[in-house]
Amino acid sequence: MSTGVLRRRSAEIEAVAGITFAVEQGELFGLLGPNGAGKTTTIKVFTTLLLPTSGAARVLGLDVVSDTSQVRRKIGFVFGGDRGLYDRISGLDNLRFFAELYGVPVGEQRRRIESLLELVGLRGRERERVEGYSRGMRQRLHIARGLLHDPPVLFLDEPTLGVDPVGARELRDVIADLTAAGKTVLLTTHYMFEADALCDRIAVIAGGRIVAEGTPQELKAGVSEARVIEIEVFGDAEGPAAAMRTLPGVRAVTVTTRDQAQLITAETDPGAELTPALLAQVDGAAVGRVAVRETTLEDAYVALVREA
Amino acid sequence: MRVLRVVLACWWLNLKNLSRSAFFLLTAVLAPVLLSTIAFYMFQAGGRPGTLLYAALGSAVYGIWSSTLFGSGGAIQWQRWGGTLGLLVASPAPFVFAVAGFTLATATLGVYSLVATLAWGTLLFDVPLHLAHPALFAVAIPVTVLSLGLLGLVFASSFVLYRNANALSNMLEYAVLLVTGMLVPLSLLPGWVAPIAWVLAPTWGIRAIRDAALGGDPVFAIAMALALAGVYLILGAVLIANLERLARQRGTLSLA
Amino acid sequence: MLTVGGLISYRALFNWIHPAIYIPSVLGFPMFQILFFAYLGRFSGLRDDAFFVTGNAVQAAGMAGIYASVFTIGNDRFYGTLGPLLASPASRAALFTGRALPIVANGLLVSAFGFVVGWAFLDFDPPLASLPPLALIVLVSAFATTAFGMLLGSIGLRTKDILLISNLAYFLMWLFCGVNVPLETLPGWMQLVGEGLPVTHAVEAAREVVDGARIGSVWKLVVAEAGIGAGYLIAAFGLFRVFEREARRHATLETT
Repeated sequence: MSTGVLRRRSAEIEAVAGITFAVEQGELFGLLGPNGAGKTTTIKVFTTLLLPTSGAARVLGLDVVSDTSQVRRKIGFVFGGDRGLYDRISGLDNLRFFAELYGVPVGEQRRRIESLLELVGLRGRERERVEGYSRGMRQRLHIARGLLHDPPVLFLDEPTLGVDPVGARELRDVIADLTAAGKTVLLTTHYMFEADALCDRIAVIAGGRIVAEGTPQELKAGVSEARVIEIEVFGDAEGPAAAMRTLPGVRAVTVTTRDQAQLITAETDPGAELTPALLAQVDGAAVGRVAVRETTLEDAYVALVREA
Repeated sequence: MRVLRVVLACWWLNLKNLSRSAFFLLTAVLAPVLLSTIAFYMFQAGGRPGTLLYAALGSAVYGIWSSTLFGSGGAIQWQRWGGTLGLLVASPAPFVFAVAGFTLATATLGVYSLVATLAWGTLLFDVPLHLAHPALFAVAIPVTVLSLGLLGLVFASSFVLYRNANALSNMLEYAVLLVTGMLVPLSLLPGWVAPIAWVLAPTWGIRAIRDAALGGDPVFAIAMALALAGVYLILGAVLIANLERLARQRGTLSLA
Repeated sequence: MLTVGGLISYRALFNWIHPAIYIPSVLGFPMFQILFFAYLGRFSGLRDDAFFVTGNAVQAAGMAGIYASVFTIGNDRFYGTLGPLLASPASRAALFTGRALPIVANGLLVSAFGFVVGWAFLDFDPPLASLPPLALIVLVSAFATTAFGMLLGSIGLRTKDILLISNLAYFLMWLFCGVNVPLETLPGWMQLVGEGLPVTHAVEAAREVVDGARIGSVWKLVVAEAGIGAGYLIAAFGLFRVFEREARRHATLETT
């Protein structure tokens, strides 16, 4: 799938202001960004639920605006959440309904529903009414639904949001298997580790724009090798931070609040042993934990998003 | 044909959904039963006892009308609140058929009212259940349900497209009851009402059912009901296409 | 008889909206109700138009009051602030007048509109002298139904189903208050129920007044209506206290 320069402007807000990217067949592509970045808007355009104000979006070479019904036949999407299912009927009946809606051949329906229930781990609970399902179960039912008509392209919007850690891990395994089976997947998430673990390539989106694109390795490298020193401070942190920025070998210093303390994160040149010098700047305030580590995708992400 | 399967699937889903809503069932059954009771008392007190079956049938069709109006008017809105609207629109099947399936289910629920009113009338008011043309009666009922269900399609779409139309729905309940001659013969109403009645499916529905039960010619009425059903389908399709286009433009297909 | 649209518009009524919603729901609906039953009355040969106009106009005003009270009381936020307001008799009085005044005014408007509809479209021509007593009767009835609505509202809040409660109330009034069927023609037990409900005595008094009776001869009915209203008011306040104390004990005042 690909986009031209995509814009989506509603009466008040420009939700997505000019994004361009392309996803190869068989790829697991991640759209990573904080809430409100424009991820859901982008997915809605691809799934034909939203018309772009300008630009074009194509799935398998078909334009989402002019070839809408053909696109709809080839895509599956999972928005997740507590809604989007019929509560008063069973999970099985929900799947049967959507199978008919998506035009799954009658002879195929039973077999496919059974294998999907097995895949998402809902076997045995399918006859219960959805209103009794937990959040994680609903999420899994959503995914089963999205796969009913065996679409070659799948859009997953925050698929593990609100799911317990074990369930989430199982879901990620399922998602990873999808590309192994030849499907193309566009995933949105705000969990860095999820994008890092699952995706072949990632686009970081913030404020309606793409701020970086590449494989997880490339993105991490883009932040370049550096050392990160985190110092927990109780009391004034801005003063010491400003002082730290003036030290040689220090690339960037940010201050965030973590619970009761302020966290000073200093990015320094690799190899430079600056910890004592940095700590000297915090003279006077109480210091909690001090940690030294290498950069992670999270640092890269935070830096990119903050600049946007 | 796949379109038919989609309509049936949506019909069945909504039928199950509605049947599990105590409130919906109560309104679909209780209101017509009560109306028939009032009508029975009025006819008895006023000296028109021969028309009890007439009253029962009129109330029953009112029940079909009431559940259609109530259920269809909100049909699309409920899907939106439930988060399933986007799923329906973005599916390969044309959206209009999904909505038609839903509104047909609301009309079908009216069959409960038919059974309830007739049973109530027979048990408590000795309403004679003698049908003049039983076969045509059996045809008239599904035809009425079909034409009313497709009228519901028009409501479902216009109530979403035109917010103020939604406010009219309350008023329509009695208005249509009056104007379509379900309980009050059209001959009693001023002449200019007749053309309005003719474009409303319940007019022909009740006429078909009544003529089949009490004697008369139901065939013409059945044909008219079917013709109107076709008109409503086309009108509904146009409205729904409009609705979908606007919703995609404004991004209102889901609340998320 | 309340569709989803009506439900929303009644909630909105309390935020004083849009004539586009108010007019069809609050005025249009009773208008067609009056017309329908008047014509049905003509068809069944029961009484004259005046009988049905007065009956339905007073009932419609009453229902407006009931719906409005039920939705005000049933509104969680209101209930949350209710507790401290009930502390003293003075504040109870202030509470009642404050909330009830717009509801009563609305009821007056609805019944007045109903009478106008009857006068314009039907054979309803009350003597001018009957108008002031009529206004008084409607006022008393509005008070009684508002009180009744408050009681229902607190029950509805508890059962979390205000829509069901208000629809049930509508059906109750339909059947038992002698609105469309003379009370004396109903079975004894139904008459008994009717006598305990608001609207019944008001309707009877209104009919006599329209027929030419002086206010003096119907004062007993008016007092009965007022008394019924007072009874429901006391019950409503009593119930509030009970629920509020219970809610404080179980910390459930903020219902979801």
